[in-house]
Amino acid sequence: MSEERPQVLVVEDEVNIRQFVRLALEAEGCAVIEAGRLADGLRRAGEGPVDLVVLDLGLPDGDGIEFIRSYRGWSEGAVLILSARVEERQKIDALDAGADDYLTKPFGVGELRARVRALLRRRQRNAGEASPVFCFGEIRVDLARRLVTRGGAEVHLTPIEFRLLTMMIAHPGQVLTQRKLLAEIWGPSYVESSHYLRVYVGHLRQKLEDDPAQPRHFLTETGIGYRFQPGP
Amino acid sequence: MPRVKSTVERLSPGQKMVLSALACVLVAIVAAPLREVLDLANMVMLFLLTVLVVAVSLGRNPAILASVLGVLLFDVFFVPPHFSLAVSNLQYLITFAVMLATALITGHLTATLKEQAAEAERRERRTHALYEIASKLAGALNEAQVREIVAPFVTAELSGRCALWLAERNHSGAGAVEGFSPVLAGQVMASGLRRVDHAARHALYLPLKAPMRVRGVLLVQTPDRLPEADLAFVEALASLVAIAVERLHYVEVAQRSEVDMATERLRSSILSALSHDLRTPLTVLIGLADSISLAAPELPAIAQEKLDELREQTRRLAGLVGNLLEMARLNAGSVTLRQEWQSLEEVVGSSLKLVGDALGRHRLRVELPRDLPLLRFDAVLIERVLCNLLENAAKYSPADGEIRVSAQVAGDFVELSVSDQGPGFPEPLSGDLFDMFVRGNGESTTPGAGLGLAICRAIVDAHGGRLRVANRPDGGASVQVSLPRGEPPLIEPEVA
Repeated sequence: MSEERPQVLVVEDEVNIRQFVRLALEAEGCAVIEAGRLADGLRRAGEGPVDLVVLDLGLPDGDGIEFIRSYRGWSEGAVLILSARVEERQKIDALDAGADDYLTKPFGVGELRARVRALLRRRQRNAGEASPVFCFGEIRVDLARRLVTRGGAEVHLTPIEFRLLTMMIAHPGQVLTQRKLLAEIWGPSYVESSHYLRVYVGHLRQKLEDDPAQPRHFLTETGIGYRFQPGP
Repeated sequence: MPRVKSTVERLSPGQKMVLSALACVLVAIVAAPLREVLDLANMVMLFLLTVLVVAVSLGRNPAILASVLGVLLFDVFFVPPHFSLAVSNLQYLITFAVMLATALITGHLTATLKEQAAEAERRERRTHALYEIASKLAGALNEAQVREIVAPFVTAELSGRCALWLAERNHSGAGAVEGFSPVLAGQVMASGLRRVDHAARHALYLPLKAPMRVRGVLLVQTPDRLPEADLAFVEALASLVAIAVERLHYVEVAQRSEVDMATERLRSSILSALSHDLRTPLTVLIGLADSISLAAPELPAIAQEKLDELREQTRRLAGLVGNLLEMARLNAGSVTLRQEWQSLEEVVGSSLKLVGDALGRHRLRVELPRDLPLLRFDAVLIERVLCNLLENAAKYSPADGEIRVSAQVAGDFVELSVSDQGPGFPEPLSGDLFDMFVRGNGESTTPGAGLGLAICRAIVDAHGGRLRVANRPDGGASVQVSLPRGEPPLIEPEVA
């Protein structure tokens, strides 16, 4: 890690927030570039390869979503959004535009570091070979043989349940918006039919979680979507 | 020409008769010296011409008089023997009969034609007048202008006075008319039928019937009783005024809602600016507190303790600010529910995760039936309700107490309750608990501003649900949230 420090761009207009975000990122071993404005941020992002962008949605010279749209035009780099709680709609739009994850203000340094770690780790894994077998908790998913076992015993999943599970484990630690999940699994005409998602995520929890009311893997991001968390 | 006509029209019927007689006598006097020169048949023509002229200028009855008088004068002055009604040749009797008949018919036809022409002209003028007032009313910007347009119109067209009485204003402008009766106006308004006030002479109350509803009453007072034809005219006037008044009403409504919208926009922009300004320093505080541990991992125990305390208090402050802003948004009415069919189990799960550390060492028991139906609600808001209830439960429960979350279907509602083993709500239970800044126990040292339950109730009410508090028989408080069940949408079965 000493040779290849991940490059992180922080686009945030509040100097104080930028400062402690920098501290946290450096503690994670990242090299930090700072920008206070949207235009400045885009320019910095274009200057060199950036592994992760930490982006505030409310910037003085424009909406953070514009940044994501523009950035996604030429980069696959991870984007983590910082936003206030009341702006659900904005978060969904940002995630649908291509952001990978979000943090709600106020957030702790611990949360920030965990998210950053997950995002950077996923990039490394994406670079490596994908394995047909995926394990979390006492669950083992064999993607090639379409076989799911829980503590050694086979769990029967319907085709849709299996597709949902596959899609979620393909994006570990990442927020998937309702719209994205519905469009991918049920088709574009179902994007408003969120009740399908409720029912099927419920099924997955019943079959794969120890306590469906307090899930550890299939987490709800209320008002936004779902997040699959493989580890504890 | 119209001027002459109008002077003739102003004559009384008696004067017209005298004029008609004079015309006949004049013709007789002028023609008399010519009787030796002209044939009698031509004399007849002169009298017939007189009848025609009289019919055109003076009307039917003078024409009849001229016919009869013409025959008599012809007989007396022109038919031998002169100056006598006697007739020398019986042939003249036929001449008289034909002359009389021709005169009467000519007079009648001419008079009728003239009356019809006059009627058509009058109608045309009225139509034009209505057209003019319609275009003026269309440009009226307020009620005062409507009054200013209508009053001179009534004076000009009907030589009367008028008053406008509007239901929504209840002020009249009715002072212009003597003996205006608001009671009668109210009755006309209610029935939608025109009425004549017999006490005040010729006062006509007309309802202002607009497409949507009766908007008021137009009172027209004329010196004479209005003829049937004029009734239709004032009715037409009333409906024009009605439409103008209704248009003004909707203009006002539109302006008011525009002002409301502007106020609403201002309110929500102030809220979001406030939200941003409050959250930013809180984010900085929490971030910096966390950063200290990063910068100096090995803090002395006492410093570490203070740091944890600082972090904890900041988080509490953040929660409080969140609640305050949420309450402000709910009170401002700027919250639109994003209702979707949701799983209660899911929201309970995410709330438990959000509250997380605050639940601390409390034992947690979650009892949710597996077959709970989906409910339609705004998940973010209901999550806030649950978080508030769970935080309250954790705050008031003894350290090892049990917090229980349970749900059940009850009729058309699903009841979710959160109960604890704390001291419970102070008896007697009252609705005050739901008011802002009222806390169960005023002297309590437990932190909090008493916003929680107020927000919970505002949110649950907005969903058409109910929030109730109770004390459990074995001690501890219990808060119950009832949400309406509704009809969940169908889930198409999966084709295997």
